[in-house]
Amino acid sequence: MAQAGKGKLNYRCPACFMRDLDIDMFYDKEKDEYYCLRCQYTGKEADVLEGNEMVRTKYKAMYQRFIKFDFEE
Amino acid sequence: MGEFILNVIHRPEMVPEYSATVTGHGKEEDIGDKKLLTESLDIFKTQQRLAHENGLKVTIHMTYAALFNDEAVQIAKDDHEKYGDEIALSLLGLPCEQFRDKYKTKDFCIWMFAMEDKKRIVDDVFAKFYERFGFYPESTGSYYMDAELTNYIKEKYPMVKCAIATCWEEGPKAYHTCNNSWYTLFDGGPWAPWIPSKQNTHAPAANEAEDSGIVAIPHLSRDLIACYDGNGSNFGTHPQNVLRGMIYDSKTWEYPYLYNLIDQYRAQEKYNNGYAYNMMFVGPGWMNKMGRWEAPYELLLKSYSDGCKYYGDLKKEGKLIDMTMSEFADYYRKKKSYTEPECALWRDILYGSDKQLFWYTDPYMRAGVNMDQGGAIFDLRPYAAKLKWEVGIGTKHVQDASYPFLIQEKYRAGYFTHYAGEGTIRSAKICYQGEEVDLCLCRSKAHFSQEGKVRILTLDPVDIEFYDLTIKLQSRLYFAEGEGTIRITREILEMSRPGAQVEINEYMVACYGTTEYPEDMSGIRLRCEGSQPKEIVYEYRCREESLADAKEVSAVIPAIETKVSMKASEGAEGYVREGYAFSPMFTLGYKKQVSEKEVFATWLKLEKVN
Repeated sequence: MAQAGKGKLNYRCPACFMRDLDIDMFYDKEKDEYYCLRCQYTGKEADVLEGNEMVRTKYKAMYQRFIKFDFEE
Repeated sequence: MGEFILNVIHRPEMVPEYSATVTGHGKEEDIGDKKLLTESLDIFKTQQRLAHENGLKVTIHMTYAALFNDEAVQIAKDDHEKYGDEIALSLLGLPCEQFRDKYKTKDFCIWMFAMEDKKRIVDDVFAKFYERFGFYPESTGSYYMDAELTNYIKEKYPMVKCAIATCWEEGPKAYHTCNNSWYTLFDGGPWAPWIPSKQNTHAPAANEAEDSGIVAIPHLSRDLIACYDGNGSNFGTHPQNVLRGMIYDSKTWEYPYLYNLIDQYRAQEKYNNGYAYNMMFVGPGWMNKMGRWEAPYELLLKSYSDGCKYYGDLKKEGKLIDMTMSEFADYYRKKKSYTEPECALWRDILYGSDKQLFWYTDPYMRAGVNMDQGGAIFDLRPYAAKLKWEVGIGTKHVQDASYPFLIQEKYRAGYFTHYAGEGTIRSAKICYQGEEVDLCLCRSKAHFSQEGKVRILTLDPVDIEFYDLTIKLQSRLYFAEGEGTIRITREILEMSRPGAQVEINEYMVACYGTTEYPEDMSGIRLRCEGSQPKEIVYEYRCREESLADAKEVSAVIPAIETKVSMKASEGAEGYVREGYAFSPMFTLGYKKQVSEKEVFATWLKLEKVN
């Protein structure tokens, strides 16, 4: 089994990102999967992208444009 | 309408941060890689073009490495002539072949070097700058500038008047996010420009004698809610920070959050005598042609282009004034007095809550107030102590440059703790016939006002329900400029049974530290002052003392040369409480029986003790 490398982009581990950790994943070309060195996450590119969307669920106001920044009447 | 000032800063970094670990993965380290140099310079040129196309002035922070590059020097000279850009000198971007050969180290953070090395490096880079440009810079900076470093620079190069001196709340949280490998530990500073004291960079100068001689600006303008409980580098006016936080639509590549963040900063002029500030500073490593994490180069470029356009459009609409750093230093000196505080009333613009915080900084303290917890103080830094805190090799704090806290609700819990013990918070408990309600559980909103030199935070009244009594209570916090005190009043506006009395227990649970882990509390001196003074010297023995009509309750914390005290309006019982090993805290407080329409006031004060 050859050594792992970086994928075409530096995908971070979605599971670690959810706990505020930026961990670059490495790519195993034989299994065609990304894996995390720190936790047990593994996933194909599509899984990673899906995980990244899960990450965004905490940002409930991410798509909202605010025009008022106080709570005055 | 107030004035919204912008500093845009670019640095031609010949060996960008991250390039070795990201772009260069799988290759042997080559700090002189010509391809890397060319790419870095291309990114710098792109950044300059985007700023200028949008009519924005730039402060060019020449790195040590860039001073050896003729093309980078020429671009700086040309853009100074053509666009009025300021040519300044960065103490970031030290790594290059010349630096490695000379200093025989891979260290690159100026504040972490031994003092003698700091001086050597400063003299070296300032001399090199002079050699290339024929003058000395007026602006400099790094991620952090310790007081001793700033004092040395100011002494040797008195023309320096502005410096990037800290990254707001970049401390243990950023360290964690980077898998415990990014040693920028400097929590506890101001989030907006300030005049650092000679004693400690974080603590603003109270007067001319304490004035370090520079105006400090923060590295980026950061989200004052998100950064306190998350990675600072995800939530700043650095367009690629927003990408790092994945705060964009992955299909449309839109990021309204970036504009909300800028606009919320613009709104702060209401609390700061018509002045607000932003800083944008993107190192070339963040616009890597290989992409940055999951963001391809095209998205990186778009985000920076959009960021410049947003600021540029504001300028065209007359809503923004772009300045170079040295211009800003002159502006700030005219605009602000030493004691004028910086205030921010900040709402959540990301997570969809209506949470609201108030931040206050002056030469005596930095305080954070949480309206979602009834106006509790959740962060408190005793700047009054102007703590001498040397950092770098050869000091007690090689990396840890944070200003110590007395209260930090994330590192030492807040209202909520697991199983036992207490967390740091300054709040009040309302007690009635065996029932107890903490104001931390009363969500509210605040309104800012100013009377003379007092900034007032008035919270919307909250209802507190007991078994057979409901009361309506209103909290106000008064921050008196130049006094180092916070007055807090609780007014009982209504009671469902007019003759009833409730007990208000005003308390502050505190400790000290800079990280998540406890410090030795031994020797902290807790006192009740009055007719029969009481004292506890901290030994983790869970003791308590109280005194009727106490004139003052206080804690003296020798490790941070700080005295924190409370006083109360008449007729209150003061108390002090020692913690224990599982709860290494101390508590100061006052209790008083209060009836309808009555106001109970307490004063929190911070002082230096030797």
